[in-house]
Amino acid sequence: MKLKHYIPSVILTVLLVFALVGTTGVLLVQHVLLNADTFATVTEEQALADKAYASLESYFKARENSTGIPKEVFLDAIDKEALQEGIAGSTKQAFDYLHGRSDSFALTMDFTEMEASVRAFFEDYADTNGYAKDEIYEQKIADVTAGAEDKILFTVDTFKFSVMYQNGWLQKAKPYMKYLSPAAVGCVVVTLLLLLMLVLLHRKQGAHLCYWAGLAALIAGLLLLAPCVYVTATDYFSGFVIKDPQIFAAVLGCLDLFTHRAMTAAVVMTVLGVVLLVLFGVLLHLQKPEPDTK
Amino acid sequence: MEQKKKKSALPVYILTGVFLAVLCTALSAAVLAVPYDKVRSYLNIVFMDQMKLDPSTGTNGLVIIENEDIPTEKPSEGLADEGDIIRPAFGEQYAVLQCDAISLSVPVYWGSSAELLERGACQSSSSKVIGEVGNVVIDAHVNTFFADLSQMKTGDEVVLYTEYGVFTYQVTEQVTFENTDKTYVLPTEEDRLTLYTCEAQVLGTSSMRLGVLCELVSKAFYQTGEVQE
Repeated sequence: MKLKHYIPSVILTVLLVFALVGTTGVLLVQHVLLNADTFATVTEEQALADKAYASLESYFKARENSTGIPKEVFLDAIDKEALQEGIAGSTKQAFDYLHGRSDSFALTMDFTEMEASVRAFFEDYADTNGYAKDEIYEQKIADVTAGAEDKILFTVDTFKFSVMYQNGWLQKAKPYMKYLSPAAVGCVVVTLLLLLMLVLLHRKQGAHLCYWAGLAALIAGLLLLAPCVYVTATDYFSGFVIKDPQIFAAVLGCLDLFTHRAMTAAVVMTVLGVVLLVLFGVLLHLQKPEPDTK
Repeated sequence: MEQKKKKSALPVYILTGVFLAVLCTALSAAVLAVPYDKVRSYLNIVFMDQMKLDPSTGTNGLVIIENEDIPTEKPSEGLADEGDIIRPAFGEQYAVLQCDAISLSVPVYWGSSAELLERGACQSSSSKVIGEVGNVVIDAHVNTFFADLSQMKTGDEVVLYTEYGVFTYQVTEQVTFENTDKTYVLPTEEDRLTLYTCEAQVLGTSSMRLGVLCELVSKAFYQTGEVQE
């Protein structure tokens, strides 16, 4: 290999490594982490609606001990399908807001049936026990209904978009969303340009092109693979402190999916690098040796 | 000669690869050092739990330990004024609370959660372990175990049985307080048992709490090896 090709190749390879890492990272964030489909997949794979229902069942059962209102008053008026729709609705609203399709994020569900169920229970109780239907009575109905609705909305917000919105995180992220696609395109273009420069530099030596490109792919793959292997081997994300089953499963489901996709991309890149390096060895073996290696 | 040249080029290719790998790793570490330092403390908090759980388990990590071996009779001998206290794990039933005046006998769990309140009375893990000097704070639901707590009167005897001893208290005062008022659940200098529950209310939850304060009358620790027999 000629020295005049060696140093530019080293520089181009280093740049190509980071271009590959950046491109993969941006594409993963765009297509996995900030993609509503990912959340839909996690919702289904982790059976979040089932976990949310179990959590509500446990909550209303516990509340029954202090309020005297049977859990069925609430649970008979909501089902897993409604919770599934609630979770999907929260995801849709969050992404509508992030992508500028709506101006605010507000989690809503249809509680008509539950409100009727609560009122029917109170009416029945009041009629049976001669309880006065005064202002206090109406206030109690309103308090119980509002408390139950808040709890259900909190529970179906498994990905905690409302918390992120209340803390201003979604608002902070929103302006950057429009740069995501240009950033992805930019990274791809830079990667292709660097690759093109390597091709031009080694246009007469195909084997060397394989070597430098293979090296870049291998190193980029390993750089991406290392953190993925670490978090997988140490089970890092399982140390998540919030143990509410539906939140725990939602957050870990997303992080595990992201890690899995990142690891897949890293492995593909590593394998590609190895293949190119093997190809380089084969081509070098088939070629005549260079007369003036310096 | 050609063979010799081929061999001599191989280390260059290998060393170049190693050099580039080290260089890129070092550059990555340098670039990520500052942002990692900023988020490290947050990551340590968010992922600090040592109890690793599979998300598919659907549990909240609470391990409930039932204990049916706690003796609920006062032995006449083999007791000492001082002894070792066994600190329970969160979710562990480590005592039985009895009050003959209201026919109360309820398991006491260390820590408080909806699941534990289903099973018995819960002791705040910020209060003192039974047998330690200070305020032992225990609560339960008014519609279940502490339904008759308001019936307790001054002078009634309350006994806490544990695996390491028997602790007898006497009711000294009945109290009513707002759920935001921490006066009666805060640590105290003297030995005290505080029992409380929600104020019973028709439909809905009350913000008022009803409780009784009890003073320690006697404590008797089992001598080592006595309790399990």
